[in-house]
Amino acid sequence: MHNATGAVGDAEPVIRVTGLAKEYRVFDKPEGLLASVRALFRRRSRTVEAVRGVDLEVARGEFVALLGPNGAGKTTLLKMLSGIITPTRGTATVLGHVPWERADDFRRRFALVMGQRNQLWWDLPAAESFRLHQEIYRLDPARFARTRDELVDLLGVRKLILQPVRELSLGERMKLELVAALLHEPEVLFLDEPTIGLDVVAQHTIHAFLRHVQAERQMTVILTTHYMKDVAALCERLVVITGGEILYDGSLAEIVDRFTTHKIVTLDLDAEPDPARIARLGFPCEVRGPRVVLRIDRARIADALPELLRDSGVLDVSVEDVPLEEIVAGLFRSADRRSQPAEASR
Amino acid sequence: MLRYLTIFGTFVRACLVRDLTFRANFILECLTSLGWMSMNLAFYLLVFTFTPEIGRDTGWTREPFFAFVATGMIINSIVQALFMPSAEELTELVRTGGLDAVLVKPLDAQFLLSMHRVDFSACANGLVGVCLLAWAVGRFETPPPAAAWAVYPLLLLCGVAILYALVIMLAAATIHLGRNQSLYDFWFYLTNFSRYPAEIYSGPWGSPLRALCTFVIPILLVVNVPARAITQPLTGAAWWAVGGTVCAAVAALVVSRVVFQRSLARYRSASS
Repeated sequence: MHNATGAVGDAEPVIRVTGLAKEYRVFDKPEGLLASVRALFRRRSRTVEAVRGVDLEVARGEFVALLGPNGAGKTTLLKMLSGIITPTRGTATVLGHVPWERADDFRRRFALVMGQRNQLWWDLPAAESFRLHQEIYRLDPARFARTRDELVDLLGVRKLILQPVRELSLGERMKLELVAALLHEPEVLFLDEPTIGLDVVAQHTIHAFLRHVQAERQMTVILTTHYMKDVAALCERLVVITGGEILYDGSLAEIVDRFTTHKIVTLDLDAEPDPARIARLGFPCEVRGPRVVLRIDRARIADALPELLRDSGVLDVSVEDVPLEEIVAGLFRSADRRSQPAEASR
Repeated sequence: MLRYLTIFGTFVRACLVRDLTFRANFILECLTSLGWMSMNLAFYLLVFTFTPEIGRDTGWTREPFFAFVATGMIINSIVQALFMPSAEELTELVRTGGLDAVLVKPLDAQFLLSMHRVDFSACANGLVGVCLLAWAVGRFETPPPAAAWAVYPLLLLCGVAILYALVIMLAAATIHLGRNQSLYDFWFYLTNFSRYPAEIYSGPWGSPLRALCTFVIPILLVVNVPARAITQPLTGAAWWAVGGTVCAAVAALVVSRVVFQRSLARYRSASS
């Protein structure tokens, strides 16, 4: 149970959300001069439900991915959990605190990193921003120096901390943003698209860094991203949100089992197959030169493989699950189709 | 309190480092500011070639009037240096969603948002103001009494507090509007009334304006009361004005705090 200081027992969820909803009133901007003048006196508004009654529990040390198409409500949910905005309905506690009450004790224990926003002083070296963090979070100088050195070494950015932030590349800046966010050793970390626009090397470095820090500190992390590589590299649990509602909440392995019926079998043949040979394979397939990609029902895979390999022209074979991108995109599309008739009837 | 002072010290240091990085820009800003002030002073000198006093029996002869102008320069330069750059930046922070990063820090958001940028070039006007005050007071027939010197700094602080409250309320309007690019213009129009002696607001139009700018938006107290305390005898009525200004400053700070907190509670953030 929560105690007087807002501490949470190990068995208690670190994040508990019940029926959380956020509505915005938006004003339509009419087209044309006359309509614009008319709108000065009478504006047409409508209510947009960004998040609709979300329920969620996250345990200490979990690394959860929050996936959803643009405008699904991921970032709005993250902003409510970090106390930036107040919900229209529902309750939430993070580390035993109601986030939007913005208690200092709560704000000292979490961090938020937004991939599309810069939180470091733009014209100054990151070392200056780190120093400010030390003062804001009242960090012991020796401990601050130790943590800072450890983090910059893990990310390999020691040489960059004395260079003005505006002179750094996007990847370098993001690494320094992560250092700044983790200096006060937060128990909960909210990451909003931290790898957006980064090259593959920077993405890998950040994945390795986050994995290491999260495991070492037993930090609870919620990550929103559009990159399935982030999810596959970091998260065990996946929450899919569309239209402000949770569509799926479970493990990565489970989403594959639950939402796919087949596996992808790739055969490398000795030559480009003729139509007769393709027909003999007996499965829906896609031919790319001498490579044939088959979609085979999971239940039939054990029987089908020996049969396929009996073809003496098979040089190589690989069996994989349907890519996560494909599964998630399918989920988004089905949610979209379901919501369209509902919207039309409104 | 000590923690906030230390953090403010860090802001000051960071802004100084930045200003020194862009030295030419800093020098240009100082020169622009001083040029504008010199033109104003030249204009007032010109006015005093036509008249020995502003208004009849108001006490605003040349040197007391320059003490008035100097007081205004000192108060304005403090506000311009400490609060105005942050208030102007707030409009951008709201529009771009940069305010999000401020709200997650374990620190008073009003402090962080109103004091994180310091404009050192605005201090140039303050220094000129101090020199002008010293020059004007040195030429008074009767030097100000000790009591006047004692209340003068307090009244300067009250003036700064009233202007700060106005700035922060105007900036808070940004949170509702999403964009408030006219903040600085509106601030300039509003505070323009405080740049002249209250006595000029008389007659059928002037008197209601004077009442409005004294009791509703107390900007006429900002420069007039401290300047009067240093230039004219501290009589009974003057002490009432001193007390009223202290009360107005406290009330303005309380109201601005409430307005700012309520505005923050309605913050919608920007799309990412």
